[in-house]
Amino acid sequence: MTVYLRQVAAIVRKDLLLEVRTGERLAAMGALTVLVAVLFHFAIDQGLVRMQLLAAGLIWMTILFGGMLGMGRTFEMEREQGAIQGLLTSPVPLDGIYLAKVVSNFVLVTLIEVVALAAYWLFFGFNYGNDPLLLAGVLGVATLGFVAVTTLFSAISAQTNMGQTLLPILIFPLLVPVVIFGVTATGRIFASRPVQEVEGSLYLLAAFTVVALTAGTILFRYVVEE
Amino acid sequence: MSLARIRWMATVLGVLGVAGVLVLHWLVFFWVGTERTMGIVQRIFYVHVPSAWVTFLAFGITALCGAAYLWLRDERLDWAAQSAAEGGLIFGAIMLTSGPLWAAYAWGTPWTWEPRLTLTLLMWFVFVGYFLVRASAEDRQAGKRMAAVIGVLGALLIPLVHVSVLWFPSLHPQPVVLNVEEGPTLDADMLVTLMIGLLAFTLIFFSVFFLRYGLEHLRYQRALETRGQPRAA
Amino acid sequence: MPAAAAASRAGLPVLEAASLVRDYGPVRAVDHVSFRLAAGEFLSVFGPNGAGKTSLLRLLAGGLRPTAGEVRVSGIPLTVGDRAARARIGILSHLSFLYGRLTARENLRFYGRLHGLDDLDSRVPDRLADVGLEGYADSPVDTLSRGTVQRLAVARALLHDPGIVLLDEPYTGLDAYAGAMLQELLSALKDGGRTVVMVTHNLGRGLELADRVAIQVRGSFVFEAERADLDAVGLERSYRRAVEGRA
Repeated sequence: MTVYLRQVAAIVRKDLLLEVRTGERLAAMGALTVLVAVLFHFAIDQGLVRMQLLAAGLIWMTILFGGMLGMGRTFEMEREQGAIQGLLTSPVPLDGIYLAKVVSNFVLVTLIEVVALAAYWLFFGFNYGNDPLLLAGVLGVATLGFVAVTTLFSAISAQTNMGQTLLPILIFPLLVPVVIFGVTATGRIFASRPVQEVEGSLYLLAAFTVVALTAGTILFRYVVEE
Repeated sequence: MSLARIRWMATVLGVLGVAGVLVLHWLVFFWVGTERTMGIVQRIFYVHVPSAWVTFLAFGITALCGAAYLWLRDERLDWAAQSAAEGGLIFGAIMLTSGPLWAAYAWGTPWTWEPRLTLTLLMWFVFVGYFLVRASAEDRQAGKRMAAVIGVLGALLIPLVHVSVLWFPSLHPQPVVLNVEEGPTLDADMLVTLMIGLLAFTLIFFSVFFLRYGLEHLRYQRALETRGQPRAA
Repeated sequence: MPAAAAASRAGLPVLEAASLVRDYGPVRAVDHVSFRLAAGEFLSVFGPNGAGKTSLLRLLAGGLRPTAGEVRVSGIPLTVGDRAARARIGILSHLSFLYGRLTARENLRFYGRLHGLDDLDSRVPDRLADVGLEGYADSPVDTLSRGTVQRLAVARALLHDPGIVLLDEPYTGLDAYAGAMLQELLSALKDGGRTVVMVTHNLGRGLELADRVAIQVRGSFVFEAERADLDAVGLERSYRRAVEGRA
């Protein structure tokens, strides 16, 4: 088990080191996140709609688009110089490779969420409610589910000649539960509603995340194995 | 199953299915009584419900055969999964067009985010992805495995979306059709018509399924024959 | 290599292919290939493009499920799920499997961790020295020449002291000088008692190092010989005959 964890940690560390060195995925994701917020500013007539009421939905759509952009490259960056073959023929179990990629993508998307929250606060003065801990918990659980699905499908889209074009078509139908529960839960947190009103959505988000992670861990091998 | 047997089955099922659909339409237009509150438009129901049934049946077969393919790697399971998915896509399209036509009148709006509508729409898109992945995979074998994974995940979506849409706080209409589905409230002539519709659509689906399966079988045999010939070095 | 040594003492071949078959749908890429290799033996497999050489190598590496037959490492069947058996196999391809934005040292340390090695502080500099790259430890791989990258890839493939080394067209893209350097490094493999399988269409390079040669055409071995019974001209003739289907 400890060997397994060390192998997973090695891949996470390598991914993050590459990200720190090139910054390519993070830069693209961050830029898109801010730009989507700018576009929403001009797309919605704020004389008619109170933006705060849409806050949860806007932020979730922004996270989805920004996160997907970077995660689509999860395995494409491994294919250059055949490094993916080096990984697949190493003693690391295949589910370990999947979990490592989930962890490094989770870190990236979490950073994007901070950018998104900051951008919306700056541009629209959104009020994020009075329970930052609960907000972090909801965002964390939902992000893990989002990342679990998207990581599996980025391994699929990387093996097609449509590449990242295919990714949203594959993941959006499956991510509808994340959007439903995520928006409901964060919307209520933003409105500073009592915890009891958030709990139900949080549990269902957790259920989705558990199912997605389990399915990804089991099915990943069939996606990459020969 | 031999190719000749598959062809024979497809033909018999097809003839019976087409006959069934002709009978169904005669019944729908000339025989069955008009529903009191919804009127004439309710007759779409006899096409809509059978196509919905076949769609779920087809995607169920795809998920099961896909999972079995991942386990056993028998090419025939992949042919079956693919053939069923194609049928599911077609009948799903019939369901997704006939539904709104009816709902526009019955509910006053062509679309609503009722659980079953959302679920079937999403499932239909999952299976669009199923074919996009098959078609664009750089390695054909990998494409089969990846499609099987998508088929399995599509089936996993069913309970989750069902729960999720029930929980969604906004529009949550009580579908009118639910009353009709409870056996006792359905008149005998309507029930007979519906049953014939279900039977006819199922027969047509399996006819198309076997035709498609036979085509894959044929392609495979053809490829096996070319195997013996020298390849360009 | 204690395990390999023990196996050869017991009279077992280190690497054995038993009637290996691999189909891709209706296409048969590998067709009943069998061979046994003892410790220190070097097999070169030649064949035209699409002959199934790479599929054979991936079967041997445990990266591809055989449709029928099996690969045995020291007598133990290799299964796709058996990740631990990979610790005994090293793979060198014409792709380096290295990350361009990481340095030579970082790349080796990464692969070392994947193999669960814990003496990386001493092992990595040693391996860099073995391939003559001690001066490049902190150079990003992107900045190195193709030949230098391939030497680093040799260090990567041998990092975990595998008893079996699989070579997939390792000369592709190398100039004459870099090719000669690689030849030198690869000839040292045999001396270390390693069992090697190389697939290539480069007859000259393959023959130079081999103890045994095989020619694979349309999936199956159509020609096999001991190195001692063969010269370059004879191999060339057999190869042409095999490819033209008159073997």
